[in-house]
Amino acid sequence: MSVLSGKNIVKKYGKETVLKNVNIEIETGKIYGLIGRNGAGKTTLLSVLTAQNPATKGEITLDGNPVWENEKSLSRICYSRELSPVTMFGPNNFKVKDYLNAAKAFYVNWDGEYAKELVKLFNIDIKKKISKLSKGMMSAVTIIIALASKAEITILDEPVAGLDVVAREQFYKLIIEEYSETGRTFIISTHIIEEAASLFERVIIIDNGEIKFQENTEEFLARAYRISGDADAVDKATEGLKVYHPESLGRNKVVTVLADKPDENFAEGVQVEAVSLQNLFYAMCTNEGREAM
Amino acid sequence: MLDNLGEDRSIYLQISEMIEDEILRGILNEEEQVPSTTELSKFYKINPATAGKGINMLVDKEVLYKKRGIGMFVQTGAKARIIEERKKNFYDTFVKKIITEAKLIGIDKQELKKMIDDSKEG
Repeated sequence: MSVLSGKNIVKKYGKETVLKNVNIEIETGKIYGLIGRNGAGKTTLLSVLTAQNPATKGEITLDGNPVWENEKSLSRICYSRELSPVTMFGPNNFKVKDYLNAAKAFYVNWDGEYAKELVKLFNIDIKKKISKLSKGMMSAVTIIIALASKAEITILDEPVAGLDVVAREQFYKLIIEEYSETGRTFIISTHIIEEAASLFERVIIIDNGEIKFQENTEEFLARAYRISGDADAVDKATEGLKVYHPESLGRNKVVTVLADKPDENFAEGVQVEAVSLQNLFYAMCTNEGREAM
Repeated sequence: MLDNLGEDRSIYLQISEMIEDEILRGILNEEEQVPSTTELSKFYKINPATAGKGINMLVDKEVLYKKRGIGMFVQTGAKARIIEERKKNFYDTFVKKIITEAKLIGIDKQELKKMIDDSKEG
């Protein structure tokens, strides 16, 4: 097993600190979900981890070797970035096949046959210019590059943004198929949590430039509860626990709590329910008193 | 096969219960092969490790066993074991709930018994 590790990463853009002392560990052979709101720092973190963007402070290593300007480490990682219909010089006039050829030259384990299959599956015309693609097609191209790279550690940044429901299902199935066959590591960032949650063996929650949790998804959810009932009873039952997003309705109160361990016993008189990853995430982010953007 | 997994309980528990249900209903018979971890994870779009955890739980409970190089099979006697376990939990999982709800809406035990006697469900 290999480890991609980031220690004490700080990233500043001018005066703004986008990553605040982030520590992260990615063990190979697992599917990771990186979850955060828009602007939480997901893309910055991924680009810093893959040395596409220098950290202001901190250290990124793969098996103890620095990743920055280290061809050997970088050849094991694929970060398939979102494509843009425009470049600094105007419309993005590169064709899909130009991107595929560049990827072929760049990724040592590139699987051309697999790329062809995927192009067919997603129904992409490779002679089309990037600027002429729909948002969904652009997402599909980044997915094709990521999968066909056959890189040991493959990072997908918001891969399903813009994909319709059929293509999203296809994407999830492709990831599972590829993972089952090869055991490659996938890091998938998303803010569409509900449908992807069960795909992730481990979940990393980033909020406001800080990593709040990185944990086995099942274990994480096993210690999360939604407690409801009479306000006094709820307060009593949740005393001493970290309470997120309290809501009241008349004398009723609903809170989300994260206990230290699973199978927490709560006092009688309250209703205890499980929490989905999406609802837990929502409760955590709402708690900070920041409204939706 | 369930159409979808719920979010109210751990997914691996739902996987193992679903397989148990299929054994009880005779959709999966003893000494028959069960879907592989990969098949399950693709079907439900869940992490293979999660599907594996559900399967392993059933191996521990002696409901399934592994034939090396082939896959997972239903053990002989699995059905009886599942029934025995579910019978043990029947009071806690079902009867208690019914009594609590009946109390809440003022159905007394007499009435409840009559409902069960008159039930057309078999």
